[in-house]
Amino acid sequence: MDSIFFYRPPEAAVPADGPLKGMNIAIQPNVSAAGWPTDAGSNALARFVALEDATVVERLRQAGASICGSTRMSEFGFGLDGSRAGEAIKRNAAHAELVLDLMGESRLAASAGDVCGFKPSYGLVSRFGLIGLIPSMECYGILSDSLKNIREILKAIAGPDERDFSLPDETTPDFSPQNIDTGKTTVGIIKEAPGSLPARQESLYRAAIETLGDAGLTVKELSLPDFPLFLPVHKIVGAVEASSCTGRYDSVRYGVRVPGAKNWNEMYLSSRGAAFGPLLKSYLFQGTFFQFERYDAYEDACRIRARLVAGMRRLAAQADFWAIPVERGGPDAPASLADTYAQFALTAYANVAGLPALYLPPAQGRPHPGVQLSGPRLSDARLLALGEHLLNARRGGNA
Amino acid sequence: MMEFEAVIGLEIHVELNCATKMFCDCSNRPGDKPNMNICPTCLWFPGALPRLSREALEKAALLCLGLGAELQPRSAFDQKVYYYPDLPKGYQLSQAHLPLARGGAIDISDENGRPRKLRIHHIHMEEDVAKLVHEMEGRLPISLVDFNRAGAPLVEIVTEPDFRTPSEAMEFLKALRTQVRYVGSSECSMENGTMRVDANISVRPKGTGQMNTKVEVKNMNSIRHVGDAVAYEINRQSADVQAGKVVTLHTRLWDPDKKVTLAMRGKFEGPCIPDPVVPVIELAPEWIERMRTRLPEMPAARAERFVSQHGLSGEEAVFLSADPEVAGYFEALIGQGVSPRTAMHWLVTQLIPAVKDRGQELSGSAVPPARFAALLNMLARDEINAHAAREVLGQLFDSDKAPEAIVSALGFRQVSDPDALDALIDKVLAEQPAAVADVRAGQGKALGFLIGQVMQASGGKANPKVLRDLLAKKVSAAS
Repeated sequence: MDSIFFYRPPEAAVPADGPLKGMNIAIQPNVSAAGWPTDAGSNALARFVALEDATVVERLRQAGASICGSTRMSEFGFGLDGSRAGEAIKRNAAHAELVLDLMGESRLAASAGDVCGFKPSYGLVSRFGLIGLIPSMECYGILSDSLKNIREILKAIAGPDERDFSLPDETTPDFSPQNIDTGKTTVGIIKEAPGSLPARQESLYRAAIETLGDAGLTVKELSLPDFPLFLPVHKIVGAVEASSCTGRYDSVRYGVRVPGAKNWNEMYLSSRGAAFGPLLKSYLFQGTFFQFERYDAYEDACRIRARLVAGMRRLAAQADFWAIPVERGGPDAPASLADTYAQFALTAYANVAGLPALYLPPAQGRPHPGVQLSGPRLSDARLLALGEHLLNARRGGNA
Repeated sequence: MMEFEAVIGLEIHVELNCATKMFCDCSNRPGDKPNMNICPTCLWFPGALPRLSREALEKAALLCLGLGAELQPRSAFDQKVYYYPDLPKGYQLSQAHLPLARGGAIDISDENGRPRKLRIHHIHMEEDVAKLVHEMEGRLPISLVDFNRAGAPLVEIVTEPDFRTPSEAMEFLKALRTQVRYVGSSECSMENGTMRVDANISVRPKGTGQMNTKVEVKNMNSIRHVGDAVAYEINRQSADVQAGKVVTLHTRLWDPDKKVTLAMRGKFEGPCIPDPVVPVIELAPEWIERMRTRLPEMPAARAERFVSQHGLSGEEAVFLSADPEVAGYFEALIGQGVSPRTAMHWLVTQLIPAVKDRGQELSGSAVPPARFAALLNMLARDEINAHAAREVLGQLFDSDKAPEAIVSALGFRQVSDPDALDALIDKVLAEQPAAVADVRAGQGKALGFLIGQVMQASGGKANPKVLRDLLAKKVSAAS
């Protein structure tokens, strides 16, 4: 168990009374909990202890949950190398986990762990206290066996926070249980999404789609020719933001300073050099390159991002939700940036466009890798209701 | 020899006098004991998020409106990326792409008294950086960082390159300072660092429209230094160009002791990327109008009114309206029945120097307008003379008694009663027959001597006007 957890508090605080009473939730060490070591998986923050609670921690505890520990994570949550996300649920050490979703990590971890994984709409949950990496794309993902748990957790943590001004001024969705009228619900299949999926993977995806039709939903083919641009846009915009965002880890005010530098330029180079691992370093170099050398490409990427957001909004006029394939497998510990990106080709869209996305594992014994469902921004409650409907339909023996 | 003209633009940083820093609730008091006003946000601890201060936005907006700039419906913060220990997160939050306001201008008179309109290109908000202190620890040089100033709210006013002479730059800065003080957004003191000016200077053959490579000059800590530095730089560059040298883009520091500019470093332009965290600022037209109603009457309008309403000369009006406190004090005196001329004269020649001598500010001084007006009104009613009024003013600073009480206590009340003066005059005339004879012989000087004698006999309290009339009448009547 110790290999899963990075930190477990010596004794858990007595939970408050509330809807989450009795629920054990694991976080990652990039979520501030006062007094807990929070290194965000990086040497840059080795031995750093959080000063105050993140808004999510405060709200989960107020709702009665017990934060049972933090699980080992990849450096700053980028990719899944070194992450043990999803395993605490598998080993019955937690009912749910919060996993940072930068380009799809929570959904892929859910897929690997065969549990449900949900990434909420951008701007629905306060990032105060989150040691993030890509401010405009990052989001807590929620993993659990039970979609009801996910819904209750999201209900507890979503909504305005006076400590996070970046949350848009908009209505928080109503997370009460709701019914899905299957006859009136359309799920779009984006023609271009499977892209370069190997033939076998694509046929498994088709099998997963069939389960939607079996559940009574109308399945409709849609087209977004720009879909393959989501990943390159993420690569450029995400890396540039990450490069700026990690600028604060300069060893001046906190973190680890490598001694012996003759001047502060050397201090920066040696301390920052020792702070980050090889994968993150290549990622930050990529961002710095676009910042300093190819600002034009960065501007292009921002423009294309706006076009992609508009494109997804147009799709929302044609279908209530859409289904996106999930690819299982790939290298276990991707060594390079390219290998890492390859894993997230089918998940990065939700981070680029700020959309909610739900991963549903396949029913037991089914060979397909499960399905990823997404919908318009702030359709979170309905998307979860759709998921609950599909899982119920399975229990009825349909899928 | 070729004649050159200078092309000058200014970048002026103004520290807003807000209660808190720009993105957190820390006190905006950079001068406190080092690192007293800091928190996880302005130290940019992991997990901290910036929260734009409403007061900073309002004070910045008022400043823009006061300078006639147009507030933009949409503005946003960018990250100016560079690495330096005074910058706690590797980038400075500044508005590089979408500034808070564009346009605006300041009217000045040039050296020949001709009106000049000097345009503002844009005004943006940004956060200040920390202060570095370099010391020796034994033989080891160390750098200490004081983060009190990190995150302090600033606006930067960027002008068009409209200036041609050092004097224009100085006049512009004086007028800018006055206008910003009026709207109450900053004290704009170059000495205290709440106004910091960088000048961009290039030279070109007079009459051509070309824009040549500019040099940036920093480190001037008074408006006079700005003028001196600009003048020096124009001469230096003109001589270089004359000698066939090429001007390169760089930054120079003004050395106030040697009165020269010295090359500092190649100018580093870091990239500016849109900040993904601080929300875009959208200003509704109603909000902008509400800000506009908070603008006070600006100095130019006030000076005009002082001329038309109070009969001051243009120069007096401009002088009085330059400082909102002085102008307000002047109007308060008039409100208490003091004549504009008396108010102007006594305020400028007596009260302001007296306040300054005591190291006080006009607004919080021991002599508020009501007390000063009471004194000046006694003077106007001939109850005291000017000499006594000056004496009493000095007392007003040390005592909270009413001016009337001080006048009585010191026995300064002027004697205007003819019966009381008669006796004194008769005594002096009896003692000074020679002088009386001189007056009768037509020697005006002797009358003055006699007046002086009676004044002395009255202990300085005789009303000089009444005394002169009575004396003149008596001397001639007795002849």
